[in-house]
Amino acid sequence: MVTSRHTGINLLRYVGLGLILVVMSYPLLWMFRVSIMDVAGSVAGSGWLAGGFTLGNYIDLITQAGLGRNLFNSALVGLSVTLGNIVFCFMTGYSLARFRMLSNKLLFVTVIVVLMIPAHIIIIPLYVLMMKAGLYDSYWALILPFLVNPIGIFLVKQYVETIPPSMEEAARIDGASDLRILFTIVMPLCRPALAVLAIQVFFTNWNSFLFPFILTSSDDLRTLPVALAMMQGHQAIDWPHLMAGSAIAVLPVLVVFIILQRQIVSGITAGAVKQ
Amino acid sequence: MRLSRSSSLILSLPWLVTFILFWLFPLLYSLIMGFSDYRLLATDFDWIGWDNYRELAADDNFLSALKNTFVFVLGTIPVTTVIALALALLVSRSFRGRGLFRAGFFLPSVTSMVVIALIFTNLYQRGGYIAILAGFAGLSPPEHGFLFDRATALYSIMAMDVWMSVGYYMLIFLAGLKAIPDELYEAAELNGAGWWRRFWSITLPLLRPVALFIIVINSIKSFQVFVEIFVMTKGKFDTATAVYFIYEQGLQTQFRFGYASAAAYLLFVIIAMFSIVQFVLLRRRRALW
Repeated sequence: MVTSRHTGINLLRYVGLGLILVVMSYPLLWMFRVSIMDVAGSVAGSGWLAGGFTLGNYIDLITQAGLGRNLFNSALVGLSVTLGNIVFCFMTGYSLARFRMLSNKLLFVTVIVVLMIPAHIIIIPLYVLMMKAGLYDSYWALILPFLVNPIGIFLVKQYVETIPPSMEEAARIDGASDLRILFTIVMPLCRPALAVLAIQVFFTNWNSFLFPFILTSSDDLRTLPVALAMMQGHQAIDWPHLMAGSAIAVLPVLVVFIILQRQIVSGITAGAVKQ
Repeated sequence: MRLSRSSSLILSLPWLVTFILFWLFPLLYSLIMGFSDYRLLATDFDWIGWDNYRELAADDNFLSALKNTFVFVLGTIPVTTVIALALALLVSRSFRGRGLFRAGFFLPSVTSMVVIALIFTNLYQRGGYIAILAGFAGLSPPEHGFLFDRATALYSIMAMDVWMSVGYYMLIFLAGLKAIPDELYEAAELNGAGWWRRFWSITLPLLRPVALFIIVINSIKSFQVFVEIFVMTKGKFDTATAVYFIYEQGLQTQFRFGYASAAAYLLFVIIAMFSIVQFVLLRRRRALW
């Protein structure tokens, strides 16, 4: 009796969860399906089997539509910003964790200020600033403002606080320089936190639309999400090509997510629950 | 320690420089611009005092953008929070295949908003999948598609936003659930408390800080909704939101930097007040829960 009731509940749970899973994954699966349709055969709401099968859309995008350039831009900007965050968030986070003095309290205030202020408020002044500095529509405009971020500083600070300072003190007695201690002793110890930081920063930057959109204007400098949003602006939408472009934007994230799921999840929840 | 004030300052220099250049300066610059009629190609500022703010208060486009923003925030946040909590409860206990469900629910949150918006533009179109689903349910979908109708466009975008963000907040709820000690549930069970009683008297009160966090960050994010509006409707069919208005006035056609900055500051004040109200309300409910 008891076991049959149990399996009944279990079955119900799986059916329910399965239905939710279908709802949550359907749009992405549909994107992949449309991305391999023949252009001619695709109509709104056509079924999974209609529309034909081809990989030509992907090839067209890279060879003819210049999406390769956008892919390159996204990768270049993403990697530069990620590298900057690893180095600079580490330096600032370490300093926050190890020095307790007034200047550091003020530093902490700046971190909080940025966390609390909605980003929309700097859109216009940042645009004007980049114009005046002659950086508008350049890679610099896409990289410089995002080289350090307060959430990353927080992440590193919390991690460094769990490392006992005795090792740094021992190294100092042995005559190691400050820089050497920082980059050859402390930084390797922080690898788990820096990995989480790197993944988060890269994803955020890879997916970001608003700032790359307002800070560039030439096609050569568009990142992938901006290029995709622009493709859609034309009158008749060429769905198979648009969905193939979307798939190109999603695939790297998907692969990294599947491989590094645990780190990604821990990065998201680390900042959240402590507050 | 030999490392001192100067070292700490040098280490923080990259942050301080970016903070001053790309946050503090724009923040003040924008406040100042809000009191001027500065626009593209203007050579100097003309101070016009509170005129921008007065104009905003009478600007129908701004008021309707504010209305849409509030509809978006007030409509999505309760739904997202409740669904995220329900999902978290469904996958909090260990069972076979739990990892797959968690990952599947969370996946939309790591995908680019532009891509999600494009896919849903396809799903919402005339004769698209959602129209077919609506047909099954006996409803008649809008003639030109869900995004081309004033009655459905904004709500369709809101539904997509809920779909996209529940997985992320589910994860945060899961972390909160994990922090509740098992002993509490065991003790309650020994005293004969049923599932509902345990949920109401243990889970919900102890999750309150997490729920507050979720509601506050989701509000701040939702008040700034822009990308999905830009991609899906370009603000047409009564979907323009406050940030869309700022973009339109400041960077799309008019390049009225002063006017757009004033609107941005007004939205900032609204967001700040909203967050404070949430803090006060949810704090006070301690006695009720």
